[in-house]
Amino acid sequence: MVVPARSWRVTVGILLVAVVCIQVRAQQRSNASERRPQVLDRAPARMIADPNPVFRAVVLDAEHGEVFMANDKESAGTSVLVYPTQFPATNRIMEPKRRIAGPKTDLGMVCGLALSIEHGELYSVSGETGTLNVYPLDSTGNVGPARRLRGVMPRASAGVFLDVKNDELFITTEHVNRISIYPRTFQEDQEPLRFIQGPASGLGDPHGIYVDSTTNEIFVSNHGNWRETQPGEGEVRGPDSLTRTSLGYNVPGRVVPLNPSTGKFLGPSITVHSRSASGNTAPLRIIHGPHTQLSLPDGIYRDPMSGELIVANTGDDSVLFFAKDAAGDVAPVRVLKGPATKIKGPVGAIIDAKRNELWVASWDSHVAAVFPRMANGNIAPLRVIRTASENAPLASMGRIGAVAYDPKRKEILAPN
Amino acid sequence: MSQPRISAYASSADGNAQPTRVIQGPKTLQARTSHYIAVDSVRDELAVPNPFAQAILVFRGGAIGNEAPLRVIQGPKTLLSSVDNVAVDPVHRELMTASFPNDSVLVFQADANGDVAPIRILHGPKTQLDRPIRVEVDPINNLIAVMNDRALLVFNRTDSGDVAPKWVLSGPKTGIGTRNGTRDLKLFPEGRKIIAGGSIRPPRGTRPSEPAGEDEQGFFRAGQRFIGVWKYGDTGDVAPWAQLNYSPVTKIPGSRMALNPEGADLIIGGDGKVAVYHLPEVFQKTID
Repeated sequence: MVVPARSWRVTVGILLVAVVCIQVRAQQRSNASERRPQVLDRAPARMIADPNPVFRAVVLDAEHGEVFMANDKESAGTSVLVYPTQFPATNRIMEPKRRIAGPKTDLGMVCGLALSIEHGELYSVSGETGTLNVYPLDSTGNVGPARRLRGVMPRASAGVFLDVKNDELFITTEHVNRISIYPRTFQEDQEPLRFIQGPASGLGDPHGIYVDSTTNEIFVSNHGNWRETQPGEGEVRGPDSLTRTSLGYNVPGRVVPLNPSTGKFLGPSITVHSRSASGNTAPLRIIHGPHTQLSLPDGIYRDPMSGELIVANTGDDSVLFFAKDAAGDVAPVRVLKGPATKIKGPVGAIIDAKRNELWVASWDSHVAAVFPRMANGNIAPLRVIRTASENAPLASMGRIGAVAYDPKRKEILAPN
Repeated sequence: MSQPRISAYASSADGNAQPTRVIQGPKTLQARTSHYIAVDSVRDELAVPNPFAQAILVFRGGAIGNEAPLRVIQGPKTLLSSVDNVAVDPVHRELMTASFPNDSVLVFQADANGDVAPIRILHGPKTQLDRPIRVEVDPINNLIAVMNDRALLVFNRTDSGDVAPKWVLSGPKTGIGTRNGTRDLKLFPEGRKIIAGGSIRPPRGTRPSEPAGEDEQGFFRAGQRFIGVWKYGDTGDVAPWAQLNYSPVTKIPGSRMALNPEGADLIIGGDGKVAVYHLPEVFQKTID
């Protein structure tokens, strides 16, 4: 068979083009693999940041007249700030007596604090790393923790409470709807003594925690974001870990099947659990419903004299007080709220029983305010500690998980 | 932080600026751990994930204060797990999320609301999906990119099921992957570029001793922060075409990013700060 010359020319042409393409691609690959990056290093044109510390958790050493407050604002350098409980009223920025801060402290995003006067210890929980650190109560500066619980506690833990009577530490974890209980004397790789977790527990995005060792009750504030969790979820067990969600990005964990989603919005609540409860156990009672006025509740405390529950109600800039046996859809017995209070984004509340005073830590306004213990309504605080001037912008950026740009409004968007 | 919120700042904002608006309050249904916002500039909407309630919230673009979302994707059919990222394709009217717990990418119609099933799922061993944390879509060149534990994977936009990626960026020269601190990725369709943060390991013996977190030099865990820019088609262990490195001058605050192509700005968030870098080189519409 004779192949026409024209067909040969076409075939040869196609082959030549193919060879050239292959060579060009090989050259491109070679260029890419040996590439020297163009360096774009330059200073930022603009930097948005709040340099002022904020107040998150608050704990008191009434014996020594000191109040400890967690500052989780990364742009101000996270720290624990220690102030005297008694000081002349001033509206100026107040410097702390001392501060625990610096790379050696390993504070991370310090969300929760507890203290033991008897053992001279301060306990801090970092939501970012899932660590519980212990510092001597008189620590100052860039000091490392004396003890550290690391590697077993789920990430995104926030609230911590020391039950002095039973010598146990209680910790809440948002990501996995859990309360973990450790001995105060924990070692670095200590397993929890017990935990409360599972669909029956009623826990939904838990935050603040308080334990009453007299009534043997645990009180937990919940934002209400809920999904079904399995008991043991969030524990770091290497490849056998139950889900990866709260383990950190680099821990393999088990792959979760593409199962039906279980997420729900339960609404905010205070769940009350037995102090000795364990596993997937239902709460003893729940404070929940529209009459409660609960809105993104955070720090929680019990008045040691009246038994009232005190809730830092972040979502509506208030502090709510509930009767000691409150349950169901009940209204608070008192509400501290209004512009005179200077409460804005409250996250912590505590009673100084020795001085009959109520402390409220407000994140947004950079203010810790001191009130009479039975304060009610829109009343001015007795005195305040502030880390920013009164006319400074409210704190608005927390831990920035993302940024976005809205071209229509020419705005930069930053969620916490 | 105190409560879940989205703060909006003027693009010219600097220093301790007051937000122009804040979206916050119980009606917004946001969770405190919020790792993404997607802007749909065509429909003028914002999409935000809520990982704890396994939901995607879609707000009006100009939402302010305690404003409820327009739509909420949530329910058993959605298969949403701990959803912490979302991308929007305004051209093809789709919305997608990379699902870290189950090595998949779920794609929904952009106007989905309530308990709706995904219209496509990318999932299976050929996909090489391994703890994916971010997905981005290029509706012009019809691509999606996914950030993995050790790699950046690029697929055709409409890929579905168990499909191999068309490009895979991975290896020590890339410095990317969540293992290396990458928490975000962006695509610039007009310039056919991929932008991702990562970290470069310093030589052994010079690494900081801190076991975790970040030291004052900007080293964190694996190495030193950088933002890398790759060209479309880059595959394998390829160094970036260009990079912005952490230094006392650049002060890169993190690896969460947004692009403002009109202003030729790369916006980077982290450490409680937002930094704006003017990088016209990156926003050229054609590259060498």
